[in-house]
Amino acid sequence: MFAKIAAFEFRYQLRQPVFWVVFGLFFLFTFGAMTIDQIQIGSGGNIHRNAPFAVAQITLTWTIFFMFVTTAFVANVVVRDDETGYGPIVRSTRVRKFDYLFGRFTGAYAVALLCFLSVPLAIALGALMPWVDKETLGPIRFGDFAHAYLLFAVPGILLTSSVFFALATITRSMMWTYLGVVAFLVAWTILIALLGRQDSDEMAALLEPFGIAAFSEATEYWTAAERNSRNVPLQGVILWNRLMVLGISVAALLAAFAFFRFGERSAKARKKEKLAKLEAAAEAAPTSAIGSLPRPTFDGVAARAQLVARTRFEMAQVFKSPAFFVLLALGILNSGAGLWFVGERFGAEIYPVTRVMIEGLNGSFTIIPIIIAIYYAGELVWRERDRRMHEIVDASAVPDWAYVIPKTLAITLVLTAVMLVGVLTAVCVQTLKGYHHYELEKYLGWFVLPWVIDAFIIAALAVFLQALAPHKFVGWGLMVVYVIATLVFENLGWEHNLYRYGGNPPVPLSDMNGQGDFGRAAGWFRAYWSACALFLLILAFALWRRGTETRLRPRLARLPRRLGGPAGVLTAATLAAFLGLGVWIFINTNVWNEYRTGPENERWRADYEKALLPYENIPQPSVAEVVLNVEIDPHRSRMRTRGSYVLENRTQQPLRQVHVRYDRDLKLVALDVPGTRPVRTYGRFKYRVLAFDTPMLPGDRRVMRFETLLAQRGFKNSGNMTEVVDNGTFVNNYAFAPIVGMSRQQLLQDRSKRRKHGLPAELRPPKLEDPAARRFNYIRADWVNADITVSTVAGQVPIAPGYKVSDVTHAGRRTARFRTDAPILHFFSVQSARYLTRTENHGGVALTVYYDAQHPHNVGRMIGALKAGLDYFQPAFGPYQFRQARILEFPAYAEFAQAFANTMPYSEGLGFIANFSDPEKIDYVSYVTAHELGHQWWAHQVVGADAQGATSMSETLAQYSALMVMEKLYGPDQIRKFLKYELESYLRSRGGEVLEELPLYRVENQGYVHYRKGSLVMYLLKDQMGEAAVNRALRRFLEPNRFKGAPYPISTQLVSALRAEAGPQHQALITDLFERITLYDVKVQSARTRKLPGGRFETTLTVQAKKLYANGQGEEQEAPLNDSFDVGLFAAEPGKKEFGRDDVILFERRPLRSGTNTYTLVTAKEPRFAGVDPYNKRIDRNSDDNVKKIGA
Amino acid sequence: MLFIDDLTHVYGNGTRALDDVSLVVPKGMFGLLGPNGAGKSTLMRCVATLQTPTSGSIRFGEIDVIREPEKLRRTLGYLPQDFGVYPRVSAYDMLDHMAVLKGIGNARERKTTVEGLLNQVNLWGVRKKALAGFSGGMRQRFGIAQALIGDPQLVIVDEPTAGLDPEERNRFLNLLAEIGENVVVILSTHIVEDVSDLCPRMAVIAGGSIVREGAPQELIAELRGRIWRQTIDRDALEDARANYEIISTRLFAGRTVIHVLSDASPGPGFEPVEGELEDVYFSTLAASRRAA
Repeated sequence: MFAKIAAFEFRYQLRQPVFWVVFGLFFLFTFGAMTIDQIQIGSGGNIHRNAPFAVAQITLTWTIFFMFVTTAFVANVVVRDDETGYGPIVRSTRVRKFDYLFGRFTGAYAVALLCFLSVPLAIALGALMPWVDKETLGPIRFGDFAHAYLLFAVPGILLTSSVFFALATITRSMMWTYLGVVAFLVAWTILIALLGRQDSDEMAALLEPFGIAAFSEATEYWTAAERNSRNVPLQGVILWNRLMVLGISVAALLAAFAFFRFGERSAKARKKEKLAKLEAAAEAAPTSAIGSLPRPTFDGVAARAQLVARTRFEMAQVFKSPAFFVLLALGILNSGAGLWFVGERFGAEIYPVTRVMIEGLNGSFTIIPIIIAIYYAGELVWRERDRRMHEIVDASAVPDWAYVIPKTLAITLVLTAVMLVGVLTAVCVQTLKGYHHYELEKYLGWFVLPWVIDAFIIAALAVFLQALAPHKFVGWGLMVVYVIATLVFENLGWEHNLYRYGGNPPVPLSDMNGQGDFGRAAGWFRAYWSACALFLLILAFALWRRGTETRLRPRLARLPRRLGGPAGVLTAATLAAFLGLGVWIFINTNVWNEYRTGPENERWRADYEKALLPYENIPQPSVAEVVLNVEIDPHRSRMRTRGSYVLENRTQQPLRQVHVRYDRDLKLVALDVPGTRPVRTYGRFKYRVLAFDTPMLPGDRRVMRFETLLAQRGFKNSGNMTEVVDNGTFVNNYAFAPIVGMSRQQLLQDRSKRRKHGLPAELRPPKLEDPAARRFNYIRADWVNADITVSTVAGQVPIAPGYKVSDVTHAGRRTARFRTDAPILHFFSVQSARYLTRTENHGGVALTVYYDAQHPHNVGRMIGALKAGLDYFQPAFGPYQFRQARILEFPAYAEFAQAFANTMPYSEGLGFIANFSDPEKIDYVSYVTAHELGHQWWAHQVVGADAQGATSMSETLAQYSALMVMEKLYGPDQIRKFLKYELESYLRSRGGEVLEELPLYRVENQGYVHYRKGSLVMYLLKDQMGEAAVNRALRRFLEPNRFKGAPYPISTQLVSALRAEAGPQHQALITDLFERITLYDVKVQSARTRKLPGGRFETTLTVQAKKLYANGQGEEQEAPLNDSFDVGLFAAEPGKKEFGRDDVILFERRPLRSGTNTYTLVTAKEPRFAGVDPYNKRIDRNSDDNVKKIGA
Repeated sequence: MLFIDDLTHVYGNGTRALDDVSLVVPKGMFGLLGPNGAGKSTLMRCVATLQTPTSGSIRFGEIDVIREPEKLRRTLGYLPQDFGVYPRVSAYDMLDHMAVLKGIGNARERKTTVEGLLNQVNLWGVRKKALAGFSGGMRQRFGIAQALIGDPQLVIVDEPTAGLDPEERNRFLNLLAEIGENVVVILSTHIVEDVSDLCPRMAVIAGGSIVREGAPQELIAELRGRIWRQTIDRDALEDARANYEIISTRLFAGRTVIHVLSDASPGPGFEPVEGELEDVYFSTLAASRRAA
């Protein structure tokens, strides 16, 4: 019986359209992800599209989405009989409960599993497609698919099937089951958000039901080679996780069995009783005939009453529905979970300023309002019909506008409610975090209002389409087409917001600059699309479906007649507004500004490379002196620069040409190099080749004069200028002044895009061994002396690098002149904003922070870090070359801090709002400040050649400098916490390497190597060699190279300096750290303590150890380990909060060799924890097993 | 008066639901009698502006219903054959809402209207209860209450008694009878008693055409002396069908009572009976079936 029922169910479901639709959709999505570059799951970089890792990730992702599908299959099993009314007939047969219930479940589950095969099928077929780049594919192995399917899809689908089967059995309602699905998703999201944090990885891996967390935990540090070849083994946390999922599934099925009742729903009897009572109540009243009733009137009063009543009624219908509350709850949780952790760095919180809250809300609300608008447009437009009230309502005298307007208003207001709830959530988060500066006007103006208008625009389209569509689902389908079309358009480069319905340019926010001019630009588009939306609503009114006729053609026939009278006037008005605004926008976006699309930008960059890269290495004169006169007009987004360069031939040969280029958005008003004539002008690329009438001999100096204009008139379709703005102008010389010589700055980076445009897939820096590379430094900027005059409006502070020699305010303009007192790199910024300043003099250096009035929180901390930095760096590395060190805040249009000569621009989003009221958290503001100050030595005194390893001489040493400052400020404990972040980040990032990982001394500008690994390497080296020796070595490296031009230094010089100061015992370590990719794997196998006679304690430690050398692809080879490691015994666990200095019972260095090592240690106190390399100084593939609880 | 001229409606799938219907409906209660599928509801919907007919014209007084449906709606009360309710809305609120839709913008007038109607249809005691919980009879009473809002001059009631138990039906017909005689009321039904109980005038519709029209008494009078009855065994029915022009059959105590239309006695065993409206109806249907 069981088998027959299961087989029947299987065949039944197979015949349903749901199965084929879902199969088709999942196949298409997966196939698309496999074969289209823009969409990729789990792969990318060096990971093959069909790598076992990618297959598993795709399987996991789709398993979550499949939840909705499994629910359709299994809930249908239960609900079907009740819905069709066939239930009593089935239940009166002799089928047993077990067979009925589980037979059907088995059938439905089997269908779900069969349906999911569309995913592996699509991957396999996708991998065979001829247009897919073969470089991105690995071998197609059946085992990989089977492994992912069995390990993740089968249990995951079983889980959702059984849980929602149980829910459907208990509620007997499709709606409640789907609400359950939503609730489940919400709970899942929260679980992920709560558990997905640094310290609870393992917990998440165990509990997260789909196995995503377990999978990422197990593969976290896998390299590209492993991801391409290995399947994750069924062991450890994955095994437990899968067993737990199985357990939950069985429990859910048992619950379904327990709650399922054959037979009628008992509610029927109760309903009858209730009805009788109602009848009696109705009966109780006496009948009284009434006289004549009031006659209707059709005037303004009635119209207003209709509008209010209809809107209120439509909204009540929405607000009282359970679906709305689910949506609201989803909105709250969605935004709340996101907002709680927003802006955290290294575990430290930020002050939740309104701007950040709004950005968080925007991030969590991207698609939800659109879904709500689409859903409710269908529900509301078709509601009379769905409720079978349409004949009554449609035959009443209510005018057609009293359908269209209230329904659109209701959707808009519902969305407004969702937005307001989001704001409420944000305010709650602010309150809970102790932040009480509420700026409701920002919430309304920057978040609610724009969203409400956008919501209205979408709602109008949805209502219009629903009014045309012959069925609710057709209307929904049309809206889905709209959403997909929007995405496709973008990928095809059809980006103009004039034809992307509801489109408008992004509005970046800043505390300093508010919405800037960006809000106004978006406002024009909003007005334009609102006019369109109104026009659509008038059409919807004129085509409104009234009565029982659903065909479109009769309605179209009467359209002209319906558009007479006031409706016609309104139509004309909206059309006129729509067209007028469109013309105005077009003038702004296409006439006053150039309209550029993503693909067009790509092509430009590719053509730029093809035309100009050959010039990369031709010898060029250097810029030696820079004189600039910069006039900033922040309120009009204009900046005019007049200037001159002194060019100097620092090469050994005569130069016949000078190459001048400037930014694509910059207007070059004048360019004059006396004694030259133009040879070639690349107008499209803003590149000019000038030939000297008489060649420039070595040591010769020539002058170059220019005038430029950086400005934007009106607004653009996207990418409005963020450099010159009302308050917070921050612009570097590459953007506003000409540059001499070609560089790789503007070239395409992405491998697949490069290949698409016929360029070599990668553009790597010259080899370390290439002597020609030493003609340029890696910043491609010469050492110059600068004299820069900046003027701006009177209320703002103008800044440029150098020492301020004058500062005058006259006729509403403030003008300041800056002269450098030491050579600086020809790469710097100019700034202007309304700043407050705080200055402290420290040993002859003026330390100043220029900050916005809203952000005083960390100014003292920054100054403190500058002081500590100067105090450490000067004796350790050598003198500071300036009399000033300045930190300048700039708007959050970018989030970074940067080091220019004596000037460090620092984003308002990075450190100015960090909150360190918890002293346990890492003070990254001091850290970043110290890092940027470190660059005043490492980049601004010595700068590496444009070859491999360049950044190891700047970024890595700046990291080391910052670490040492932090150690002086906070002691080694915070450093250990910080290094743990660095270690995890390094191990994770190397798995995502696109080309190949390189040893530190050959780093090719890879952040995870020069920053993350760099920190670890330098700190370990300092630990082993001693701080004094390392600093001696750095001085030895710095001194001969200070302000040195070509040939620029290379990293082997740094390594030699280190080797020279290190004893012979550290030479092998230096090789491992700098010249190889070295990984350790140390694990405490067992640790036992026994009490010795005499009250002392003997602890025996067994340790497994190995050392590995990896190649660039992450393939590892074991190497003999013969080194000395820290061994420690502790009273508390290192790294935990309660751990303090007193908890160290024994700490010494012991030799460690490959394989099993045993240590016997005797101590006076009884230890509770034992560890090898307990503070994680080494790059250990698994840093969690270095410490073990004794006796356990 | 309502004038319907040459009204034809063909649905998208080709079904000819109305075929050249012409009808004049005077003030007072008018019964439109016809079997299921005869085109009653299509006709009612066309008059109620819910369906635009393929051709023909409908006029109500001065109003051209097809060209200016908005005007008719202002004076129309319509109770459809089948209607649902919004969830979580009480009888009072829904009636109040309908009153707004029908142009009773003034709040005080609306209160008078809603309270008066709720009393009239005997729903005052349950005015705050959700409509969704109402029985079929209560729902129909609510339906007539909403149709009477705003003192309409044309009231269309489509199959109101289908599915009601006898007591509910009785109560509902009493309500209908109270509607003034100065308005046009069209009651469409397939239940003969509804018409005979209430309507001074009537028409029979079958196969999309009006096949009989007149006052019930006159129509019955036409049949006087032409209806014959015989009670036969059930298995003799086939023979009887072959021999006589049977207009209706009915089971009574396990045997079959047949009515036959004939100018003279059709044969032995038949007795003459006083014609009823039911006989008018069935004879008309039988005739139209033969003609088809």
